[in-house]
Amino acid sequence: MGLDWTTFLLEIVNFLALLWILKRFLYQPVLATLAERRAGIARTLGEASDKEARATTLQSQFESRLADWEQEKAAARSAFDAEMAAERVRQLDLLSHDLAAERDRGAAVEAHARETLRRELAAQADKEARQFASALLTRLACPELEARLVDVFIEELAGLPDARLATLKAAHNGHGPAVVTSAYPLSDAQRERIASTIGARLELPGRVEFGLDASLLAGLRVSLGAWQLDCSLAGELGVFAEAPSFAN
Amino acid sequence: MEAAHIVFQLGFLQITSTVVTTWGILLLLGVGAWLATRNLSVASPGLVQTALEGAVQSIEAAIEGVLPGRSGLLLPFVGTLWIFVAVANLTGLVPELHSPTGDLSTTAALAFLVFLSVHWFGIRSSSLKTYLHHYLTPSPVLLPFHLLGELSRTLALAVRLFGNIMSLEMAALLVLLVAGLLVPVPILMLHIIEALVQAYIFGTLALIYIAGGMQSQEASHASDTTSSNAPDKKGSST
Repeated sequence: MGLDWTTFLLEIVNFLALLWILKRFLYQPVLATLAERRAGIARTLGEASDKEARATTLQSQFESRLADWEQEKAAARSAFDAEMAAERVRQLDLLSHDLAAERDRGAAVEAHARETLRRELAAQADKEARQFASALLTRLACPELEARLVDVFIEELAGLPDARLATLKAAHNGHGPAVVTSAYPLSDAQRERIASTIGARLELPGRVEFGLDASLLAGLRVSLGAWQLDCSLAGELGVFAEAPSFAN
Repeated sequence: MEAAHIVFQLGFLQITSTVVTTWGILLLLGVGAWLATRNLSVASPGLVQTALEGAVQSIEAAIEGVLPGRSGLLLPFVGTLWIFVAVANLTGLVPELHSPTGDLSTTAALAFLVFLSVHWFGIRSSSLKTYLHHYLTPSPVLLPFHLLGELSRTLALAVRLFGNIMSLEMAALLVLLVAGLLVPVPILMLHIIEALVQAYIFGTLALIYIAGGMQSQEASHASDTTSSNAPDKKGSST
């Protein structure tokens, strides 16, 4: 339990020897390894930091580019919207114009069809009216009507203007006798009146011949060569039938 | 508890069992360190390398906690103290062997080395004059007390470790003699804990003493600088 100086000194030497051994074979290698690893970690961290900085730069560039793209996209979209609006307005105008033209054309076609129908209806009514008048007058034909027509002929011939009379005279120019055709037999008095009137007005030197033609229905027709003076019901109905339609 | 016996005589030197055991520890630690650090890998450390790195980093962190930035200087000495004292304390668990730290000569040698190292590192951190000057602060009257403190704490360092380890071995021996074979097992487990705790205490106290020596002369230098600047401050204030 006492202090042995030899042991004391040898233990000092032993400890110093152990200090050198551990420093040489333990601390230095381990510390060197740790330092190398720390340096590697620091290097890796530095590289990571550089990469992070580069990534941050790239990210900022990308975000800036993305913002530019967004602006360009917004501008392009607004231009496209404006162009689409203008095109829509143009197409609407074109469609309105086409619709107006189509409406006008339809109105014209409809008006034409309506006018055609109106004309057809008017022509049909005119035709039916003439047929009705012809049927009615045909049924009314009788000697009394013929006598009245004789009177009308005499009055008309008596009141015929001189210019017309001159034309008739020039056209006859002595070509045979005047032929008076009637639907019913004429009385002597009627024949006398007719002959005297024709002779007086047309200054015909020859005699007047009389004939019958039931197709005249009523009244008489005077043939003067190539000319005829018609005062018959059939002649009037023919004129009436050939007269221009009221529909026109 | 018998005293360390003389194993052989080397000239006038009587080699005791304590010295032989210490040589065995040296051999064990040296060969172990050489084998463990032969193929250190930076990229893929093995289990032993990881344990070694953990131990060294723990020692380094403990030193950094007391003296920031000085771990490179103090790591070999303090680390060797911790490792040697821990292994030497645990050697008592091996049958037929006694802990070298159960011998007052060993603990006194270690305490003497700590005593020298306190002054060595204190002088290295500044200069001899500055270091010696801190014994005169705050008053030269306190110089005997400083010297008495140096001696007493060195003595306490040696006796504390010696007393604890010797008493542990003696208690285990007494319990083994009295109670039988298996009863000393808890005592042996207590021996392991006590051995590690005593190693930690010895190394930590050494570290604190060294740190005190290095920081006391820095504090002394700082107080001198402050006192030398005081008249200027007073003058400027007037």
